[in-house]
Amino acid sequence: MPTALVHPTVTDDELDAMFNALADPTRRAIVAKLTTGDATVNELAEPFAMSVQAVSKHIGVLERAGLVSRRRSRQTRPCHLEPDRLTPAISWIEHNRQVWGERLDQLEQHLHDLQRSTVPSTTVPSKEHPK
Amino acid sequence: MTDTTDTGELTITRVFNAPRELVFRCMIDAEHLTHFWGPIGVSTPIENITIDPRPGGVFETIMVNDADGSEYPTKGVFVDVVEPELLSWHEPDLDILNTTTFTALPDGRTEVRIHQTNLPAMFRSPEAQAGMKSSLDRFDAYLATLV
Repeated sequence: MPTALVHPTVTDDELDAMFNALADPTRRAIVAKLTTGDATVNELAEPFAMSVQAVSKHIGVLERAGLVSRRRSRQTRPCHLEPDRLTPAISWIEHNRQVWGERLDQLEQHLHDLQRSTVPSTTVPSKEHPK
Repeated sequence: MTDTTDTGELTITRVFNAPRELVFRCMIDAEHLTHFWGPIGVSTPIENITIDPRPGGVFETIMVNDADGSEYPTKGVFVDVVEPELLSWHEPDLDILNTTTFTALPDGRTEVRIHQTNLPAMFRSPEAQAGMKSSLDRFDAYLATLV
């Protein structure tokens, strides 16, 4: 499928929430950790020189952005990454970069074609630049 | 507490082997834009391009997916137009300001720089981008385990 085309169908508010959530290095690290599997707040707090309370706060931001959910079933309430929710943010970034990259590739080709077709077909090149 | 030293905006730079006037023309004429505006797998028919290159003028396109006909509209309004040096337009839906500068190089080529500002904080610092990238790499690895 063509990759770089869709502005994914999420609202600006949702995107804002996601980007804000992911703009913080600690929260990105939490997301990265969760890609390896569910984890409790204590487990997530371990690698950081940070209180469990501070980490909880970060998780709260990720939860509100819809990127993380928490199981109600167990006492420890492990955190779970909602990878589907991450997709729009990823797509958006990739979209932006890739669209411009491909657009400029094609502009390059177009300029090449233009100059190839006009230069030989017009009669006297010396007249083109009177200065 | 986030260290948002806005180290800059997203910038894409490309050098074209063509004179500046021509490169600039390509960015403001629907006849040219239709050749390259849609990325790969996507077309932008000339009738889907509305462009009025002057401050306050619209710049709207509807890109069409070659495979299934899905349409992707873009909407912009020109903020600055200085032929053949500068084009900037604002995309209100995403609140992005695109500024494109055209620089004539001594060897006759043209450097085009595209700046995007007002991007979500995510894009702003290289650290943020690198961080996102590494998260995404792991995310990809994770997805691979699911299939």
